[in-house]
Amino acid sequence: MAAQDQATAPGTSRSLARSRPRYGESVIKVVLMAAAMISVATTIGIVAALLEPTIEFFSEISFGEFFGSTTWGPLFNPAHFGVWPIIVATLEITLIAVVVAVPLGLAAAIYLSEYATPRVRKIFKPVLEVLAGVPTVVFGFFALAFVTPLLRDWFPFLDLEAKNALAAGLLVGVMIVPIVASLSEDSMAAVPNGLREGSYALGASKMLTSVRVVVPAAFSGIVAAVILAISRAIGETMIVAIAGGFKAVFTFNPTNEMSTMAAFIAQAGSGDASVGSIAYKTIFAVGSLLFIMTFVMNWFSARLVQKYREVYD
Amino acid sequence: MQNVSVRGPEVPRNIEALDPVFTVSDLSVFYGAYEAVRGVDLTIGNREITAMIGPSGCGKSTVLRCFNRMNDLIPGARPAGKIFFHDEDLYGDHVDPIEVRRRIGMVFQKPNPFPKSIYDNIAYGPKVNGMKGKMDSIVEEALIKAALWDEVKDKLKQNALSLSGGQQQRLCIARAIAVKPEVILMDEPCSALDPIATTKIEDLMQELARDYTIVIVTHNMQQAARVSDRTAFFTAEVDDAGERHGRLVEFDETSRIFTNPSDKRTEDYITGRFG
Repeated sequence: MAAQDQATAPGTSRSLARSRPRYGESVIKVVLMAAAMISVATTIGIVAALLEPTIEFFSEISFGEFFGSTTWGPLFNPAHFGVWPIIVATLEITLIAVVVAVPLGLAAAIYLSEYATPRVRKIFKPVLEVLAGVPTVVFGFFALAFVTPLLRDWFPFLDLEAKNALAAGLLVGVMIVPIVASLSEDSMAAVPNGLREGSYALGASKMLTSVRVVVPAAFSGIVAAVILAISRAIGETMIVAIAGGFKAVFTFNPTNEMSTMAAFIAQAGSGDASVGSIAYKTIFAVGSLLFIMTFVMNWFSARLVQKYREVYD
Repeated sequence: MQNVSVRGPEVPRNIEALDPVFTVSDLSVFYGAYEAVRGVDLTIGNREITAMIGPSGCGKSTVLRCFNRMNDLIPGARPAGKIFFHDEDLYGDHVDPIEVRRRIGMVFQKPNPFPKSIYDNIAYGPKVNGMKGKMDSIVEEALIKAALWDEVKDKLKQNALSLSGGQQQRLCIARAIAVKPEVILMDEPCSALDPIATTKIEDLMQELARDYTIVIVTHNMQQAARVSDRTAFFTAEVDDAGERHGRLVEFDETSRIFTNPSDKRTEDYITGRFG
């Protein structure tokens, strides 16, 4: 203290130049930058790794056959490369999941953000987030061994196959509920309290305030949450592989066994497709398509979020 | 209420007889175990502007927020004592706070328009209250009354957040008017605004006082002196245990409070000796 006082005392002339080099600072900067670069480099690496076999694939199989026919069976003899059955299966299971997750997740978010007492919220939210930590293989087995038999008991007229898109989609939905609920709740909690007060002061009930003021004000965050959840659902592999099956049939009927794109990759990748074979290259072609779908999705969500973002000062 | 003296030729507006809208007797407000305001007696006159002034932490906003039961929304907040709205106990068991808030509107310190269009901001209240009538004319009427119509009539579909701070606050007043309340409570409505916007709001309050009862909380003594008919001066007292409690010191016609206050503390405050 005394030394410092002395140094800054008037009259003492001390240069303002750095008194000693701070190496720590530059080391930290390099380490942090490296950490940031690794994730970027990984993404670029994945794209590069996907690209080459994909190009090779399309030099053997025409775009027309890939996107123009509806028979899928690259591992069979004779092989078929019409990708639509697995695209339809992917989208259908995603749709079922969204139909489950959006209402459930939003309702949970509204409850947590608007109705729950701070104490309930403090217990409830971590529990909800634990659901996001359940390994998806557990969900898959649960769908296969519990949900499908239950659905068969309750709705015998559906004539469910042992593996089916319905049970898989329902459980993918349950899996993404925490994403929708937790992120939506975050963005609803960020809505300024003044807006709620303004609504209550006009004689609006809690329900109307939640639905007509808070949810619209948090809309950009909710959209982002839903899109992120959809991205997770599109790429989900374990649940659909276990409960949805691997049979690629071109159908819209969710009671059938269906193979999604991710399930196909898992199946073909864990099989004995030899490196360089057409089956091997198909994995990468489907992987690229999946990558493009989620990429477009995320880009779209970024645009949407920007458009609906409300700036509160 | 014995200290309410009524009469005097120097009184600007005719406020001879006090026609009570709110009658407050021995009101205390607790937040949990803490008594934020203690023993307030006050009468709010019909179609008058009543100002509540005093230093920070004196409980004036807390009292204001009892008038439309806004304090209900704060966990642990609890009033003791009585507030009558006309001759109905505002905190009676049969009273629905939602109905209370429809009849007693509120404008807040910080303009808080909804992130919707100007039109939808006004239409929100009438819609949630299921009001009958043509929405376009309800919106127009509210905006005209809030002296905002000429500025926004060509951009009703624009987002309300694109308006200036002063316009946003007048929009919030219009929004409150649209549900046809009897009383408008204003909690420091000009504290976030520049002087020109403040003047507009003050002029507007004078206009509105013809049809509405207005209670305004303000930090700004000159504002209270300019706009109000009666003024309630609050201060914070520290009790033996070292806790601060808001107290009503003096309630009188504004002209009297500012020229001839009966309490020394009021005089000290308005002459700027403390606060």
